[in-house]
This record gives sequence, C-alpha cells and structure tokens, in this order.
Amino acid sequence: MLSFLFGRQTGLDDPLRLKQAESTRRVLCLELNPDRNVERIHGNGINTIDIEVIEGRYMLSGGADGVVVIYDLENHSRNLQYTCKAVCTVGRSSRHVHKFSVETVQWYPHDTGMFTSSSFDKTMKVWDTETLKATSFYFCCLLLLYNCTVHSVPLNHLHCLSSVGTKNPKVQLCDLKSGSCIQVLQGHRGEVLSVRWSPRYEHILATASTDSSVRLWDVRRASGSLFTLNQFNEDLSKSSSEAANTAHNGRVNGLCFTSDGLFLLTTGTDDRMRLWETATGANTLVNYGKVVNESRKGLKFAVSRGCSPDFAFVPCGSSVAVYAVHSGKLVTMLRGHYSNVDCCVFHPDYQELYSGGKDSNILAWVPTPRTPDTEEEQGSKKGGSQAALNPAFEDAWSSDED
Amino acid sequence: MNRKRALKADTFKTKKWKSGSVSLFRVQEIGASVAHEGPADIKASLEYLMSLFPRKLFNDTLPPVVLKHQLYSIQSDKTLVDRHLNELREQGEVLMFQLGFDSESIGVVFAADFKAKVLATEAGRETGSMEKFLSTVLPCCDISVDKKKMLKELLFTDSEITQLVKCGVLTVKDAGSWWLSIPNSGKFIKYFIQGRKAVLGMIRKSKYSEMLKSDLEERQPTSQVKFPIKYHIHDVVGAELVDCIQTTAGMLLRVVNS
Repeated sequence: MLSFLFGRQTGLDDPLRLKQAESTRRVLCLELNPDRNVERIHGNGINTIDIEVIEGRYMLSGGADGVVVIYDLENHSRNLQYTCKAVCTVGRSSRHVHKFSVETVQWYPHDTGMFTSSSFDKTMKVWDTETLKATSFYFCCLLLLYNCTVHSVPLNHLHCLSSVGTKNPKVQLCDLKSGSCIQVLQGHRGEVLSVRWSPRYEHILATASTDSSVRLWDVRRASGSLFTLNQFNEDLSKSSSEAANTAHNGRVNGLCFTSDGLFLLTTGTDDRMRLWETATGANTLVNYGKVVNESRKGLKFAVSRGCSPDFAFVPCGSSVAVYAVHSGKLVTMLRGHYSNVDCCVFHPDYQELYSGGKDSNILAWVPTPRTPDTEEEQGSKKGGSQAALNPAFEDAWSSDED
Repeated sequence: MNRKRALKADTFKTKKWKSGSVSLFRVQEIGASVAHEGPADIKASLEYLMSLFPRKLFNDTLPPVVLKHQLYSIQSDKTLVDRHLNELREQGEVLMFQLGFDSESIGVVFAADFKAKVLATEAGRETGSMEKFLSTVLPCCDISVDKKKMLKELLFTDSEITQLVKCGVLTVKDAGSWWLSIPNSGKFIKYFIQGRKAVLGMIRKSKYSEMLKSDLEERQPTSQVKFPIKYHIHDVVGAELVDCIQTTAGMLLRVVNS
C-alpha cells in the first residue's frame, strides 16, 4: 500500500492505479457489519433498489406491496453505529400509490427531483420527489410491466427515453418530456423480462426475453434489432428460423452492462451466466459455473465500478454470489438474508453493496475496516498520560465541589 | 476465504518477473505463464479421460467420447479450459458435439478417432458424400450447420444431405439446420444417463447423502453402471451435481439438493 502511495506521489504511477487497487481490496472484504443497517419499512419483499448517480446519497426501494421508500445513506451522526433512515415513503394510504407490486424504480439521472417506477398494475409512474405526486403512463396493451429503465448516465445530449419491458413481446419507448409512448421495438417472441441502456452509447438498448434470446437495438434505426446474441457464436443465416438463435437454454432474466459498456452480462434460468462483447455480440466463453437462478421474473444484479478486476454481484437463492467478471472465478458468497434475494446494487463511491430480498430487509455489505496496527496501540497506551482509564475505575460522582 | 486473501495480496503486490523462475504458488493464478502449456495440459487430461472410456462395450463402433464438463473436475479454471478447448477445436484436433440429452452437455471427440470410425462404418456403403462431409463441413462448422451453407457454399445436394442424416452424422435441429452428431451414439447416451443416475443414487442412499470419493471408487457398482465408475465421478463433479468438499480424510462428495 505504501508503495502505491509513494508511486502516486512521485508520479511513477497513474493516479488511477492507487484508486483501483484500494477499491478492489475493499470489495474483496465485503461483509455484514453490525454497525450499519437500513431501517425496515417494507412489510413485504423488496423487489428493486436504486442509488442515485449524482451524490450517491439517496436510495430508492420498491416493494411487493406497492410501497416506495427513499432512504438517506449518509452518516451525519458522529457514531459508528448508524441506521439509514427513511426520508419519505409512498405508503398504501397515498393517492398515487401503485396498486400492485412495484417491479422497478429508478432515479432520474440528472437530479433527485424525479424518479420513475413501474409495477404489475400495468402503469409506469413518474414521481416528483418533493410532493410525492405522480403522473402515470398507462399502457394500452394493459399487460404486466416487468422492467423499465431510464437511461442512467448523465450525458449532455441525452434523450429522455424510458424503455419498458412488458408481457407483450414488443418493447415500448416512452418519452418523459412529452408523456407518451413514441416508439415500439419489435422482434422478440416472448415476454420481455429485462431491458437495459448501454452506459457507453446513449442509443444502444439491450433486451432479454423468455424466448431465450437477447437482442441489441439502436433506437435510431427504423428496422429491427442490430443483432441477437448467440451462445455458440454461430453464423446463422436468415433462412433458418429465429428459434435457433439462443443466448441461453432457458428464459433470460437478467442483464447488466459493465460500467464501461463494452461487455454485457446475461443470466438465464439454465443456471448459467454469460459475458458478451457489446460491439460484436460474440460470446467471450467465460465460464462462471452453475449460477443458480430460479427467478420467474427479472433478476437484478450489479457490476462493480472502478475496481481493477471487475466483480459481478449476482443474487443466487438466499445469498449473493460475487464473481470476477473476466476470469469467471467465484470469489465468495455473501450470506445473510433469510429468504430469496431479489436485487442488489453497488455503491461505487464507498464500495458498498446493498441487497434486498423477500424477507423485507435491505442489508448493507460494508468493507471491513482495517484493524489498527498493534504498534500504534501500544505506543499510545504508554505515551499519553491522559490515556483513557479503564471504565471500571472511573467514578460515577461528579468532580465538582458543589 | 483463501481465495479472497490471495486476490487481495495480488492487487497490492507488484509481480516481479525474473527470467527463468516462476513463483511457486502463483502459477495457477497467472494464466500467462501457463498459456503456452495450456492446450497441451488439456490434451493430456482428455487423453486420460478417453482411457477411461470403455471401447469394448460398443464393439468398437464408437470413438471414445468425453464430456466437456468432465474436464472441469480435473482442471480448476473453467474459463481457461473452455478457451484451450476452443483453440484445439480451431486447430482441428478435437470435435465438439451437442449430445442432446441435456442442453449443457457437450461431447468431445478426437478428430482422428472420429474420422476413422465414421469411415469404418461406411466401408460397405457408398462413401462419396461422407468423405466430402469430413473434408469440408468439419473444419468450418463448430456445432451445427444450416441449410443455406450446405447447399450454397459447400455444394451438397439434397440427396447427399439425406444420406448424411441417415448415416447419423447430422441430426435435425430445426427447419433448416442440423446438429453435427456422432453415429451410433444412442446407446452411449442411454448407458451414460443410466450410469449417472445410478451413481448419484448410490451417493444419495448413504447417510447424509455424502460419500468419500475413495470409498465410492471402491464400491461395487450395480449392473446399471456400464462405464468405469471414475468416468461417472468426473462427470458428476464437473457438472456440479455434487459438491466437492476437502476433508482430512480425502475428497468428500455431497449431492446438491435442488
């Protein structure tokens, strides 16, 4: 560690190197810390969590009972022991609350004034954070909404499009500025379980569906998808039927781009996770082994940011598995939930992981603090004359004469 | 826990490369140092597994077949195994086939063995289309081939394709595409599935559904199990149907409850 600091100081090393090394070290020692927990508001399972991009301070969570809660993650009390409190809640009594389970929540990428939520009551709502009032987009096909994503990287020439994956094989794009659905992407033959925008190119969208295929779209193109991902890297001609082009051998229910947007991770109910290059659609053939996946709806998993070998955090049953993305090795399993884990999100600034599950808990996985050096402890004990007295010897009455 | 400490140490240690010496316990971590030996390693493991395959059982009509996931039980890094196997396939030494009973099981055969057996079984009949198939299709297609390619690029006629399907080298996948397959492999798959079920049953019946690997190897297999039991053990370990736990008494195999 000292060599890294010296290298940075003298200019031998790129400044990023120290940051990456320390971030990686922190991610490798994630564990449940008794000093940190998140206030429990939800009465039912938690389906989705999102942390805002700007400051990384506020966290949204959506539950199976339709409730949406906003938490403040920063610790302003001087104590080590800290509970992340809920700042505000959209409870069952609110006029605008969703009728059924909330499937996806996401902050507006530019500021925390707005967020979107999609739910099984066939609506996607756009909320104003101050007043907690919402406007809804109703979908004329009136089908369950599995996943909606707004482009989550604040770029200058950003389009305000939100993509919605529903039970209908068509993917709909809604414009948040005008309030209507402006485009439909056709091509899938089954329910669309997961949609994600690429963090690198603002017009590239990836969608995953129950027909075992994953498609990449450029929303500016009028014709269909750019390409479909094929697990065998075959060159299938157009004459063979589309059913032959499969990304997984079962339903594909999870998608995540790596933070640089060059690779895409997909998980499927065939218990496999695959890594693809976004530019060509080639399967990189990284083998993660058996990634247990029994989720009927979308699985929300996260990839770390800013670490030198990137890590993927995938909910597997009641624990979260941590894999090294490019080598495929299982680093560790984070156990702590009592029931199935549904979603997890990585906080890039503090290298913390928040995961929510059916046991209505959000657990915070924090890097273990470094133990202080034994030398320093002994030095301070001998040196300071005002060294802390053993509490057993402190007297309980006040020292004032009065 | 060991894995985490090793990775943590890696991120902070700068590895100094001295010519001619490789640090002892880092060899597995550093793929680069074994990259040139990788394909050779895989080939050696393949040959070992092929030696476990019972040729007599099939009266020599079948080339020795090994499943890809059996290699995972010998080599620890799955990604490297996959990559090296792909290299071997591109060099033309090894062929991979989708076996059909489980979408994840891929069979691996040495190309030379496969060609020899296929030509031997076709010795009686007309071999024109078969030789054409062996020389043109095998080098360029990996696991499946589709109609357009066969007709336009490789200049096969419909009747030749029908003949190939009858011989068993092509199996229907979809309206216009075929899987490459091994002729006479039906019996192999039947015995294999039976044997796998029997071996898993043997482990499951023991107390706590777990058994030491050495004990399992010494047990008398039932008549259901036609292959040597080591073949099945590699299969069951590599497919992650059992958990491998290191104990002081050796490797313990415990059936995964799904």
